[in-house]
Amino acid sequence: MGADREGGAWRRSMRALACTGAGVMLLSACASMPDSGDLRDVESTPRQDAEVRVFALPPREDAPPSEIVQGFLEALTSDDPQYTTARQYLTGAAARRWAPEESTTVLSDGPDIRVDRTTAREDGDAYAFTLTGTAVARLDQEQSYTPLHGRYSQPVHLTRDAKTGQWRIDRLPQGVVMGQSDFQRNYVSVDKYYFASGSQDETAATGPVTAVADPVYVRRRVDAMTQMVRSLLAGPTRWLSPVVVSSFPEGSALRAGVTALTPDDQNRLTVPLNDKGSRAGQRQCRQMATQLLFTLQNLTPTVDTVTLERTDGTTLCTLGEDRAETMATRGSLRKPEYLYFLDDEQRLVRLAAGTTGTVPDPVPGPLGEGLQRLTSAAVSWDERTAAGVSADKSALFVARLAPGGTLGEPVVRSQGKTENDRLTPPSWDEHGDLWVADRDPRRPRLLMLEHGTGRPAEVRVPGLDGRIDAVRVAADGVRIALVVEHTDTTRSLLIGRIERAAGSGGAPAVSVLDLRPAAPELEDVTAMSWAGDSRLVVVGREQGGVQTMRYVQVDGSTPQGPSPAALTGVQSVAATADGRLPLVAYSEDGIVRLPSGAQWQKVVKDGSAPVYPG
Amino acid sequence: MTGDGAASVSGRTGAHAGRSAGRDGAGSFWASLLEGGLLHGGVQGSPILRLLLRWVRRPLLPVIRLWRRNIQLKVVVTTLLMSLGVVLLLGFVVIGQVRNGLLEAKVKASQSQATGGFAVAKQKADEAAAGTSDDGTGRDGHSSQNVISWMSELVLSLSSGGQGAFDVVTLPTGDESGGGRGPRASGQVDPTASVPADLRARINASTTAAQSYTRIVYKDTDKKPEPALVIGKRVDDPNGDPYELYYLFPLTQEEKSLSLVKGTLATAGLFVVVLLGAIAWLVVRQVVTPVRMAAGIAERLSAGRLQERMKVTGEDDIARLGEAFNKMAQNLQSKINQLEDLSRMQRRFVSDVSHELRTPLTTVRMAADVIHEARENFDPVTARSAELLADQLDRFESLLADLLEISRFDAGAAALEAEPVDLRDVVRRVVSGAEPLAERKGTVIRVVGDQQPVVAEADARRVERILRNLVVNAVEHGEGRDVVVRLAAAGGAVAVAVRDYGVGLKPGEAARVFNRFWRADPARARTTGGTGLGLSIALEDARLHGGWLQAWGEPGGGSQFRLTLPRTADEPLRGSPIPLEPLDSRRNRALSGAGRPGDGERATVPAQATGERTLPPGREATTGRETRTGRETRSERGPGGDRAPAAVPSAGPAALPDSGAAPVVPRPASGARPQPAAPTSATRPATEQTTRTAEPGAAGARDAARKGEAFGGR
Repeated sequence: MGADREGGAWRRSMRALACTGAGVMLLSACASMPDSGDLRDVESTPRQDAEVRVFALPPREDAPPSEIVQGFLEALTSDDPQYTTARQYLTGAAARRWAPEESTTVLSDGPDIRVDRTTAREDGDAYAFTLTGTAVARLDQEQSYTPLHGRYSQPVHLTRDAKTGQWRIDRLPQGVVMGQSDFQRNYVSVDKYYFASGSQDETAATGPVTAVADPVYVRRRVDAMTQMVRSLLAGPTRWLSPVVVSSFPEGSALRAGVTALTPDDQNRLTVPLNDKGSRAGQRQCRQMATQLLFTLQNLTPTVDTVTLERTDGTTLCTLGEDRAETMATRGSLRKPEYLYFLDDEQRLVRLAAGTTGTVPDPVPGPLGEGLQRLTSAAVSWDERTAAGVSADKSALFVARLAPGGTLGEPVVRSQGKTENDRLTPPSWDEHGDLWVADRDPRRPRLLMLEHGTGRPAEVRVPGLDGRIDAVRVAADGVRIALVVEHTDTTRSLLIGRIERAAGSGGAPAVSVLDLRPAAPELEDVTAMSWAGDSRLVVVGREQGGVQTMRYVQVDGSTPQGPSPAALTGVQSVAATADGRLPLVAYSEDGIVRLPSGAQWQKVVKDGSAPVYPG
Repeated sequence: MTGDGAASVSGRTGAHAGRSAGRDGAGSFWASLLEGGLLHGGVQGSPILRLLLRWVRRPLLPVIRLWRRNIQLKVVVTTLLMSLGVVLLLGFVVIGQVRNGLLEAKVKASQSQATGGFAVAKQKADEAAAGTSDDGTGRDGHSSQNVISWMSELVLSLSSGGQGAFDVVTLPTGDESGGGRGPRASGQVDPTASVPADLRARINASTTAAQSYTRIVYKDTDKKPEPALVIGKRVDDPNGDPYELYYLFPLTQEEKSLSLVKGTLATAGLFVVVLLGAIAWLVVRQVVTPVRMAAGIAERLSAGRLQERMKVTGEDDIARLGEAFNKMAQNLQSKINQLEDLSRMQRRFVSDVSHELRTPLTTVRMAADVIHEARENFDPVTARSAELLADQLDRFESLLADLLEISRFDAGAAALEAEPVDLRDVVRRVVSGAEPLAERKGTVIRVVGDQQPVVAEADARRVERILRNLVVNAVEHGEGRDVVVRLAAAGGAVAVAVRDYGVGLKPGEAARVFNRFWRADPARARTTGGTGLGLSIALEDARLHGGWLQAWGEPGGGSQFRLTLPRTADEPLRGSPIPLEPLDSRRNRALSGAGRPGDGERATVPAQATGERTLPPGREATTGRETRTGRETRSERGPGGDRAPAAVPSAGPAALPDSGAAPVVPRPASGARPQPAAPTSATRPATEQTTRTAEPGAAGARDAARKGEAFGGR
């Protein structure tokens, strides 16, 4: 009995000891920061940008005319959806006439208000001002951006309301006018997507169609999503419309009464269509949804499903992100496998894209054997064919990137006297056609070789002022970026539209039309590359400035976001639409690359002409 | 009174009295708290309030009882409350300190940030103004053309410095608008709602910076409003026009820190309070458990189970208490046993002596009777001696009878044979029996209150013995004045009071009259008195009934003896229909003569002059309280009354109603039924009026002497 009790006590004390020990261990675990633990998802909260908002105020009682004009101009910079506050500065008739959506004029420094001396009398019933400034750009009714140069000068007329005795604006220019900083604050550039015409029929059976980006500007904080959907339904902008088609039936629009579209909590956006839109078939509907999804992901990346609704509220079709990518392709969806460049022996070598490796392998095939020394090269999108320009830039060779085979005869020869008067680096489009320009001053020409093998066909470039110094075709095969050397030796970046027409004798008649400047402020463009569906990276020099590297939009505006870190002596640059792959440049330091969020890194010292496929 | 004997009885009554007095004290405390404090006000205030109080009080009563009885609960609750108070106080102090510290740091940092921002704004305005005038733009044309975008850029550049840390808002001064001075805000802040109006007024009035606390309201977002510090200053734009620039610093982080501290403190405080309560419970339990055990043992000891002992373990204070307690119990037990043995021995001795004396006495008696019969043949001296011999033998016999009776009581052999008796008959028999003596003394015996039957379950023989004793005593000591016998019945009790107006009792004597062989005046010859056991026997008889026999007296004012019996046997008494102190006592007369105002009790009983006083039925339940208040008023009156102190103690302690009557002895199934000790006197027709017998009673001297035997020695 006694022993029993003793044993019990001993056991009890042991248990107490164990409990205390466990408690102490638990407490000590609580008392220090954890160095291990379970895995968890990180809830990403979107970083709020420090956006500044202007709150429009209605006109003050008995405000003088100048204050009325100032208040009106300030109200234009606010986020008022229908400009109702701004309209309070206008007389009734002017408010009815005034159409703010007609255009948006961007002045470099905001409008200057100058008093028109002839009518300026405070005691009278009329007052006139002139709004002046330096025009930078203009958004048209389609909200597409056009760079402008020149003075802006528009009259504004005020009258005193007979009844209330208040000054109000009764004559004013149509549209909205604001300074560049306000424009950048209030508007955002969004790509809307259409399909390259021709590709739809041609590849209907075989594969995805090609989506072409059509950038427009929408007001950032005024229900941008609905604006974008309406703009997409309204069709492509004038510049692009000859070469793209929309899968939406003619006359498609949002159902009447729909005011605002917002994605639900499963990131699904439901778009109700009107009668005409509801008539689409299943395939067409999926294409429509693809267009919508591409467009909206450009604005709000979280949207991953789009549902189209008929007028009667039934679902026309639903398309998810993954399906959309099988329906259509766009530049940012292509992922190059390799980065190509020329090594110190001037042969074509490659590095796996997106790696940090620095030891390149020669490409298979004759171009990698070093028998023909090269000065520049281009690799097709399928990375099976490559084109190279010989060391003296006089000949263009095309070879398959496969072991064996020999280098054939050059497909193009240039008769230029000096190296700089001969061939430019070539460029492939997504049809597999090879583009190159001959800089021979006696006979400058832009050439296209169908599938890289055909006879070089000269491409008509109407309105070209100067000699083409560089060629890069966009991934969609619809737009082409040209660096044009003008007669005054300035070199500017122009974007053209490729139109193909069935020519005589089976050879297609290809022309590049409607060239427009993409980087109007740069006057000496050294190198450029497509860096997105509607974005290019450009190396150039502003007037009186030094060489810079920056991104530009195809419509000539400057995209938001930081420029790449500065680099000196850049001779060529290569980028992809996929933001994850580093930007690669050939500079004084050899071939360098810029991974996102890092500094420039050297790849190889002796090398040149880095290119990604395209 | 079964087997324990007198000692245990007295001990028990004593303990009982002490206990009840103690409980009484506690009870009166609560009563005075609740009734005096709350209920009295309620009574005078409104019945609704009183009702409400009662309604509130009722569910609390068990809790209050538990609180009163349980020391552990008291200690634990007190500890909980006090620790809660300490924790709350500490929590408030700590939270206040942390809050102040957090705010101070935040305010300092914010102020320097805002001051820098104001400087930047001023510098930018100066630069812009210098730049434009260098350009040569006309002053009026320049007006405010670029202020619109300049201001937006300013806000953007100022706010981009601290995303999430602060937001920047500009507002026009006063009610001006336009010209770049429209409200601007970064970070989706609603500018007009977020900046307090009085801060705007202050900023407008002076050029110095000012700060305030506010709540940031957000627009077009689901962000909740949050507390913030706002610092503002009036700044000039490039045109020299003033505008208001505000920095808003959200106090989200500080709030989070504070709520962390709050949560920590609350958790810790809760734990501390609960743990302290548990600790107090454990600690108190260690102390209270032995105390409870001791209390239980003590209760059992006091209930007579003297063999109970505490369990003692260890050597601590509790163990010492237990040992001392056990020793005490041991001593008590041995002493009590000794005393019991002694008393038993004595009683047996008395009983034996009485029995032993009886046999020779019978012989002596027979011889004495022979002598007495033949006394006429003797010479006068011898005849006188023979008479004396017979007389003293009579006394001796009665003394022996009384002694036997007493010893029967002491031995617990007395048994009650209760049956419904009309006490009026008993009284009439007694009165008529006393008539001869009364006539000799020149006393008139009046009977009051015999209009209605006064029926109680009682042993008629014993009651008659009691009453005869009382009446004869009253006549003996009445000094020829009237003797009043008063009957009354009320509630569950009947009472007979015998009042005389003789020498009365000195202070303290009322307690002693019931003692055996006690005499009021030791100088008086024993010959005149009785055996000295009459009142003792009467008291034992009354106790046997479960009734009270109480005495009251005042020197020179006569005395009153009151017998109170329960209407039915086995029923405890709670009060008596007749007050112990008669209304015509000197003190009462003096009081009523003084006409004390407000003495309600006296004022409401003028009817008592007729000798009728019955308890109203409704007051039955409150009898105990009434008597208590009666006593209280008496003691209150004590110092003020003219001669009260003399009267107060004359009620014997055994007579106090609260002392509790001795329990009625259960009637033994085969109880020895004692024979009536004395033959009842011849009954006379009872008259409702007081009667005065015209001629000396026919009853012989022996009869008178027999009555005289009941004389409680005075």
